[in-house]
Amino acid sequence: MPKCVIDGKEVEFTPGQNMIEVAAKAGIEIPYFCYHPGLSVVAQCRMCTVEIEKMPKLQTACSTAVAEGMVIKTKSEKVIKNQKSVMEFLLINHPLDCPICDKSGECDLQDFSFKYGDSNSRYTEERRTYMDLDMGPVIKKSMNRCIHCTRCIRFGEEIAHIHEMVATRRGNNTEITTIDGRPLETDYAGNYADICPTGSLTLKDFRFKKRVWYLKKTPTICEGCSKGCSMEVHQDNNVIARCLPRVNMEVNRHWLCDEGRFNYHYVGDKKRVKEPAIVGHSNPTASSSPSINPVANVNKTDWGSAIDAAKTVLAGKKVTVLIGSDLTQEEAKLLQDFVPATFSGASMFHFGTPGIKSVADDASADNILKRKSKTSNLNGMEKLGLKGFDSMPAGTEAVLVVRGGRAVLPDLKGLPAIGLGVFNESAAVRFKAILPGTAFAEKDGTILNHDNREQKLKRAVLPPGQSKALTEILMMWKNRKADNKSGATGAA
Amino acid sequence: METETIFIQHFNEESRPLAYYLAKMDGYKAAKKALAMQPDDITAEMKKSNMRGRGGAGFPTGMKWGFIPKTSTKPKYVVCNADESEPGTFKDRDIMRYTPHMLFEGMLIAGYAIGSNIGYIYIRGEYTREAKLLDAAIDEAYEKGYLGKNIMGTGFNFDITVHRGAGAYICGEETGLLNSLEGKRGEPRVKPPFPAIAGAFGGPTIVNNVETLAAVPYIITNGGDAFSKMGKIEKSGGTRLFCVSGHVKKPGVYELPAGSVTLRQLIYEHCHGILGDKKLKAVIPGGSSAPVLTADEIDVVVDIEPLMKIGTMLGSAGIMVVSEDYCVVKLLGRITKFYAHESCGQCTPCREGCKWMEDIIERIEHGHGREQDLNLLLDIADNINGKTLCALGDAAAGPVMSFVKKFRADFEAHIRGGKCPNA
Amino acid sequence: MSTKILSQKFYDAIKKLETRYPTRVAMLLPALHLAQEETSWLPPEVMEEVGACLGIHPAQVKEVASFYTMYNLKPVGKYHLKICTNVACALRGAEGLVKHCEKKFDMKCGETSRDKKFTVVEEECLGACGTAPAMMMNDDYHENLDVQKLDRLLESLK
Repeated sequence: MPKCVIDGKEVEFTPGQNMIEVAAKAGIEIPYFCYHPGLSVVAQCRMCTVEIEKMPKLQTACSTAVAEGMVIKTKSEKVIKNQKSVMEFLLINHPLDCPICDKSGECDLQDFSFKYGDSNSRYTEERRTYMDLDMGPVIKKSMNRCIHCTRCIRFGEEIAHIHEMVATRRGNNTEITTIDGRPLETDYAGNYADICPTGSLTLKDFRFKKRVWYLKKTPTICEGCSKGCSMEVHQDNNVIARCLPRVNMEVNRHWLCDEGRFNYHYVGDKKRVKEPAIVGHSNPTASSSPSINPVANVNKTDWGSAIDAAKTVLAGKKVTVLIGSDLTQEEAKLLQDFVPATFSGASMFHFGTPGIKSVADDASADNILKRKSKTSNLNGMEKLGLKGFDSMPAGTEAVLVVRGGRAVLPDLKGLPAIGLGVFNESAAVRFKAILPGTAFAEKDGTILNHDNREQKLKRAVLPPGQSKALTEILMMWKNRKADNKSGATGAA
Repeated sequence: METETIFIQHFNEESRPLAYYLAKMDGYKAAKKALAMQPDDITAEMKKSNMRGRGGAGFPTGMKWGFIPKTSTKPKYVVCNADESEPGTFKDRDIMRYTPHMLFEGMLIAGYAIGSNIGYIYIRGEYTREAKLLDAAIDEAYEKGYLGKNIMGTGFNFDITVHRGAGAYICGEETGLLNSLEGKRGEPRVKPPFPAIAGAFGGPTIVNNVETLAAVPYIITNGGDAFSKMGKIEKSGGTRLFCVSGHVKKPGVYELPAGSVTLRQLIYEHCHGILGDKKLKAVIPGGSSAPVLTADEIDVVVDIEPLMKIGTMLGSAGIMVVSEDYCVVKLLGRITKFYAHESCGQCTPCREGCKWMEDIIERIEHGHGREQDLNLLLDIADNINGKTLCALGDAAAGPVMSFVKKFRADFEAHIRGGKCPNA
Repeated sequence: MSTKILSQKFYDAIKKLETRYPTRVAMLLPALHLAQEETSWLPPEVMEEVGACLGIHPAQVKEVASFYTMYNLKPVGKYHLKICTNVACALRGAEGLVKHCEKKFDMKCGETSRDKKFTVVEEECLGACGTAPAMMMNDDYHENLDVQKLDRLLESLK
């Protein structure tokens, strides 16, 4: 492997590797704004300049090919003066918004100003300001904070394949915007906030929610589709604040689609059924019109009563069990043991996305990341031998639905049904009883993406209320005697 | 002593038609000769000629052509830089409106030399009339078989398309020009890759100034050595078109052998001295990007190396003469405003720094300067110089540093007096 | 799509240019010039139409149109005066020409006269330094100007 010298240290590198990455691997930080490993190199911010022997001018590290024997200095006097100068230039028009800016705490401008800038500015002229046009529901634009790194423009062109984020005018007046206040069209708009090195582009969804230094980060996998993008859940006090992509060069590289990014909302939804419940139907009064639907009530109860209610509905009947393909391999295997032992002659199917009955129906939905199967473990379910749900088998007398938060409920044909897993109130009314389970962010587990890649979900937040893991629920079912006395929860 | 000139005697309306070019200027004879030569031999003649690019950078033209690879998977291009936007420069306009066929002939010879069949003339948008004249002249050439397919029966094809700019000085920078040609914002590119490897539409490209290309027929007809010997200074061949403007009695375009004249001779002999016989204050020798010279520094030979030695440059040979009648603080303010206006905005030092310098100088000009402003200006200019993506940053910094250093007293008078002492 | 604003002449001209460039987007600068010749300035609808013609996103048209000073993104008067105030012209009295226009039309430089006939702006170097002061009015250069010459010209156009 060829070698170069950085700050007196001999460093090996792979030909073609970016100088910034070569230095980083050797533990040497070269600051930068416009460079991004997932985007083309433009060498515009001029922050990453280094001194290279035999070259009279400072060179930008991001755009200079490393050569065998090259001697590079990242902390020479010239380099340090230039870093201070670039920071001064960037800050002359940048508003002191840190106290109200969401990016604070994870802001490249803050971090590099602190490390490489000067604590004084000599600027006394009037600051340049912009009027902010709206950009749609995902991204909040604060153009005054922009440092014109053009990462967002390059992302739109190179990754999202839509030339909608552009620079207008030129020179000091350059504005970076969609045109005429049009909303962003791409389904990958959330990434604009990830790549922006300042608080110029931020997520409306995260606005003013939480200071980032309070967030605890858990690496997991997105459950939005069968791509299985690597993701991080950020939470504080068991409330998920946001989800960000995790770098995985083999699956999603640096990106996440908006559907996956914002999928987490249902986990903390107020209308989610978090307690065991029995669904009651009050009868319409004699005087009311027959066209009014009977009102259903989701009545909270204790675990014992809910399980009893469920047993009443299912015991001794011909049961069809629908297993959501948003569940993990471990959960599926538990059910494959539990169902035949508990319901004789029961059929089991996996379900998830309308129209996608098997892996053969799954395919890319766009040429970026998204796939047609809107659950993450379709492939895993099939590998376990489960068949996709098509229509209710003849003679079905009752249905048990087990799912997480993504699998779309099929038509239950008015059959008495029990729901085990994640439901909100409007879905709960289709069942006789609800046994609240865990969502993807509340459990560990294994899922298999479309590519046969085994990946791990990791628990980021505790299950809310009385919701329990599947293994606990099934154990309670097995141990529950027809005892109406106590609200026994998981007694052996 | 008679000095031979290539251009100036033809700079009038009568010279434009193809018929004149054929009859009075040996029109397209050089092309006929070139198309029978080996392409490499043409490049060799260009190297011998010591032709230095006439756009501003002064890069040896033969060397530039030599960088084009022999084979390429993408088409190769000859691009004529007719953006002529450097303040003080107005020579290419005359070539294009009076002797356009010199340019076409030069381009097709260049195309043959590097293996290209496609030429573009990128002409600044404001030259609307000149673009129309070029189009008409190109039609003439196509009609008579000097452009298009099977030129003069040699089997060589060459097309030329006129591509108008739309008002951006930065499109005179070769990679900014190429982006503009491709239908984008005229923002300069990171180099490498250089245009010779990946230029227009990703193909190997030479970008040459109008005057450079228009002189190629002469070089082919008379040989590179003859052209080189016309220059009176080492490493700089041929004659040059000098543009003199400002406070001189006879502003205009002058053609003289390279390195044959000092600034003093140009101003006082050829241009008949200062307007109103006033005292000379300053000379900007190479377009507004060139660091300014004082009245004591005009005994320098007007060519690339001599001017570089005294800390300025020949650039586009746009010489602007300033008498004591004009405030140099105001002048620097106008120059800096130009660069701030023309900055493309990509890189930090130029985008932020040029506007900052403009604001400071404006304050000083209107009597609101502070003591620390001059050293601040010099430091900002130093932070821009050599640290930007393209040379526009250097072009903005150079004048600031030279004006403030050489006319410091004028600036200080504005600051201390609270106004212009000449006002 | 909505009704076309640009004429068949525009589309014919684009068709002719197609053989001269390897990509459609390379025709954007010529296309904007051709469009502006018809509509005098480039409102969003015209830029959309140009974008649709070339098969590019309208934002791409706007980013290019707003970069170059010759594309008018706001309406301009019948006579668009661009008076150079760069070095050589400044040295030869360009500021006087600008001030004369401001006084004559009772407006500031950059604005359009009340009768919508004259727009006056400061311009960068036009490449006519040897015949300074110079200005561009619509497509034509006017050189060797002084206040009297300029005034006679403006009076003839009133």
